[in-house]
Amino acid sequence: MMKTSKIPILKLYNNLLISIQWELDDKTAMQFQEDLLKKIHETGATGVVIDLTSVDVIDSFIAKILGDCVNMSKLMGATVVLTGIQPAVAITLIELGIELEDIHTALDLEKGLELLKELED
Amino acid sequence: MSLKISGIVEFIRMHRDEIMKDWIDRFNKADAQSISAESDQIDQAIAAEYVNILIEWSKNKEDEFSRKIHEFSKRIVQLDWPMDKIAQCLHTFEKILFAKLLEKQIPGDPLELLSEIEKVTSPVNREVFLQYTSSYERTINLQKMALQELSAPLIPVFDSITVMPLIGTIDTDRAKRIMENLLKGVVKYRSEVVLIDITGVPVVDTMVAHHIIQAAEAVRLVGAKSLLVGIRPEIAQTIVNLGIDLSQITTKNTLQKGIEAALEMTNRKIVSMGERR
Repeated sequence: MMKTSKIPILKLYNNLLISIQWELDDKTAMQFQEDLLKKIHETGATGVVIDLTSVDVIDSFIAKILGDCVNMSKLMGATVVLTGIQPAVAITLIELGIELEDIHTALDLEKGLELLKELED
Repeated sequence: MSLKISGIVEFIRMHRDEIMKDWIDRFNKADAQSISAESDQIDQAIAAEYVNILIEWSKNKEDEFSRKIHEFSKRIVQLDWPMDKIAQCLHTFEKILFAKLLEKQIPGDPLELLSEIEKVTSPVNREVFLQYTSSYERTINLQKMALQELSAPLIPVFDSITVMPLIGTIDTDRAKRIMENLLKGVVKYRSEVVLIDITGVPVVDTMVAHHIIQAAEAVRLVGAKSLLVGIRPEIAQTIVNLGIDLSQITTKNTLQKGIEAALEMTNRKIVSMGERR
């Protein structure tokens, strides 16, 4: 049985920063979803950046969880930006027919934070 | 068996000049329109070499022989004759050889004789055709590579604005390459806006539109925006008539307008520096 590892969630002013450093397995992803929502509730953050630069593979389940995270966070008043999606990952997602519609994306963390700021204004 | 083969080889050696003369005569007759002194000479040299190779067939060791055939075939390919001419030529040789063998009343069943002749000539013929096809394949591959290099270039024009001009028909293979190049380029140049210019794409059907939509979707996932520019009137007509929904993608009619829009999206614009002199 694999131990589920927690993904650290950092708070930066009004935003939460999450950098996913390895391939997500289903359990970690579920745990992450729970943690994120809890953290949003605790901190009252208005923006979330999830950085996927180091992720080389995303399957349909993880994509769904991420999509759910975005929608749930929106319900709680936090805007989510996905950053650093790798070209290969983007192609796979498109080929799987997962379009992640209405999700904000940015090239990297920096641009993601800029985008959040823009969206807030 | 091999005795018979070497017998045929011996026969060729003995009647070499005769056979060659017949061969070239016959061949030139068939090819009457395009005789020139030069090609005649080449014919003669090639024919002599071919016969030589057949004669040496029995004497040489296997690998040395195959090397010889290989070289000979290469030379033939370099002559750049059409393949059917070569095929006809080689076939003619067999016919002449058979006729000569019958003429000299070599003992044996004609059918068997034919198969023996075939055994003598086939390794050489086979190699010639192999060389031919491999040379064709090489050409095709080279052209394919050249095409691929031209298929999906990405040009950074301004800071965080890149253009991908597409020229020629788009098939699935190319669409894949386009998408890969596009996404890699977006990450590499840190572009915020990419313009896909389809001025040079002659036909946009449902498949091409589908690929473009997918590419635009993928670009969005990577974190940039894409604009589709260079939509000609007839393209607009086809798109609407086919019922393709491009409403998710921003489109402009020219690259110029696209660049202006892209600059606007990145909070910039081109201004004139006062009076032109």
